[in-house]
Amino acid sequence: MEKNIKKYFPVFLLPTLLSFVTVFLIPFLMGIYLSFTKFTTVENAEWTGIDNYIKAFTQDENFINALWFTVKFTVVSVITVNFFAFCLALLLTKAIKGRAFFRTVFFMPNLIGGIVLGYIWNLLINAFLGILGLDITYSADYGFWGLVFLMNWQLIGYMMVIYIAGIQNIPEELNEAARIDGASSLSVLKNITIPMVMPSVTICLFLTLTNSFKLFDQNLALTGGAPGRETAMLALDIFNTFYGRAGWQGVGQAKAVVFFLIVAAIAFTQLKITARKEVEA
Amino acid sequence: MASITMKNIKKTYEDNTTVIENLNLEIHDKEFVILVGPSGCGKSTTLRMIAGLEDITEGELYIGDRLVNGVSPKDRDIAMVFQSYALYPHMSVYKNMAFGLKNRRVPKKEIDKKVKAAAEMLDIESYLHRKPRALSGGQRQRVALGRAMVREPAVFLLDEPLSNLDAKLRTEMRSRISLLHKELQTTFVYVTHDQTEAMTMGDRIVVMKDGVIMQQDTPQMLYNHPQNMFVAGFIGTPPINFIDCVIRRKNDGFHAVFDRFDYLLPKRMYGSLSLYTDKEVVMGIRPDDIHAERYFLGKNGENAIELYVEIAEMTGAEYYLYATAADKKIVAKIPAGESVKSGSYMRLAVDTDKIHIFDKVSEKLICD
Repeated sequence: MEKNIKKYFPVFLLPTLLSFVTVFLIPFLMGIYLSFTKFTTVENAEWTGIDNYIKAFTQDENFINALWFTVKFTVVSVITVNFFAFCLALLLTKAIKGRAFFRTVFFMPNLIGGIVLGYIWNLLINAFLGILGLDITYSADYGFWGLVFLMNWQLIGYMMVIYIAGIQNIPEELNEAARIDGASSLSVLKNITIPMVMPSVTICLFLTLTNSFKLFDQNLALTGGAPGRETAMLALDIFNTFYGRAGWQGVGQAKAVVFFLIVAAIAFTQLKITARKEVEA
Repeated sequence: MASITMKNIKKTYEDNTTVIENLNLEIHDKEFVILVGPSGCGKSTTLRMIAGLEDITEGELYIGDRLVNGVSPKDRDIAMVFQSYALYPHMSVYKNMAFGLKNRRVPKKEIDKKVKAAAEMLDIESYLHRKPRALSGGQRQRVALGRAMVREPAVFLLDEPLSNLDAKLRTEMRSRISLLHKELQTTFVYVTHDQTEAMTMGDRIVVMKDGVIMQQDTPQMLYNHPQNMFVAGFIGTPPINFIDCVIRRKNDGFHAVFDRFDYLLPKRMYGSLSLYTDKEVVMGIRPDDIHAERYFLGKNGENAIELYVEIAEMTGAEYYLYATAADKKIVAKIPAGESVKSGSYMRLAVDTDKIHIFDKVSEKLICD
């Protein structure tokens, strides 16, 4: 039996390995290679060393601005989305009327595509700001909070569902034991509910963190980076560099590599930190 | 330390199912009371109402002299041990035990003293820094007991605390809990569906069925003088034999008669039986009160009858005989010293002094 498994092992591995190599590994490595070259198509790449990286950080203030804007946006979004999602989950796991209805309603924005959502909110926010004779491109602050609002609107429902699942997984006896042990509602929340939903917190933090950091279509549709390039986040900035600036493809590629490293670093650290706080129920 | 008084308690759930109709129960200070019954009989609901985890629909519940209907669980001065232990999985054993005291703002030093004292009493000192998942079932159960103990509550509520343990550990924990009750001198209310636990541990047993108390008494009284067929059938293993028979009045007194059996009943029963002459009743006789021993047969030869023993189960100290008489299964328990063979006829005699006679319709005891 074991011999047979060993014998046919390559046959079963090959399809997966092949597709992994061709559609992920090769493009990924090529992308890294191209970030060290000057190119317009893959064929005419010329090795330029770390020029592209130097350019990205020194000759392009948009990149640093986008990086900073993305970081701020991510921090605010992660906090607000998870806070509101958790509160809603707490509320909608209590015995209140119509909670199934509310759960559905809160989840629905997540089903709408990012571009569509961006345009809808662009119209709504501009209609509102129009009363004051302004629009969303008037200031980068408007764009920032507009994006935060949109992100919350879209992601809260999704994260809420994950938190609800986590909260419902807590054995009811634990809450009862805590009530008998004299814990106040706040103490139950702090000492029982939150520690017990740490697995959900891990997932939600990971999802919101990476989603916020990689945000593209909503950014494109809501502000398009305006005013100027002030509200362009990293993904949009890379897109603009790559497709919008002749001869800068290599720099766009270098930015993408930096972008990847940041996202990977964040995701790994975050998973490591929160995984330590998880407990088996 | 406190008594518990339940007056006309009714419990109806939101979907309008009434699980307890009209419950009256008095539990004395320092008493060990066991609520026992089949699942769905309302015993757990009763316990949870005492704990304050379930609302009381109607009636009054007193802990001590205080009416506690609307009082929240934390202010009732009770502690509860759950079947699933309900230990906080993310806290160490020490923190699990200290949690209740911390919530009550007991000084740290005092918490430490109490937790360590309880841990010593329960032999869990060496696990204080472990998480519950690193403990065995029996150890977790002891932690759960310790968590209840440190609070020094007036009332201990235990909801099937031994059901998740294996048989050997259960026996050990049974005596440990009994000892704990003696040492703590506190009121214990203990819920179980296991009649062995009930019989071995309680000062008083409350047998419940469908939300109604069928009988409450000491273990001995429940076993020897069950007030109805339910209690008679619920208490005792193997269960009591119920045999439909007719009461006949003969020259020498009242007889219980069915098939080839004809037993002269003890004189003390005659007063109650006169109303039942020539009527059908149910005779209850415990397997322990059917004998095959020679000395008994010698003395009570007139009660002996040849029965076909289908199966003889050897349990060590005794045999369980599964015999048939007129298509009725009759179980007898006899000492292992007797010579017994499955699939053979055997002379068995009933100890007529131990017969219980029940009304066939109301299932209540007529006399015993």
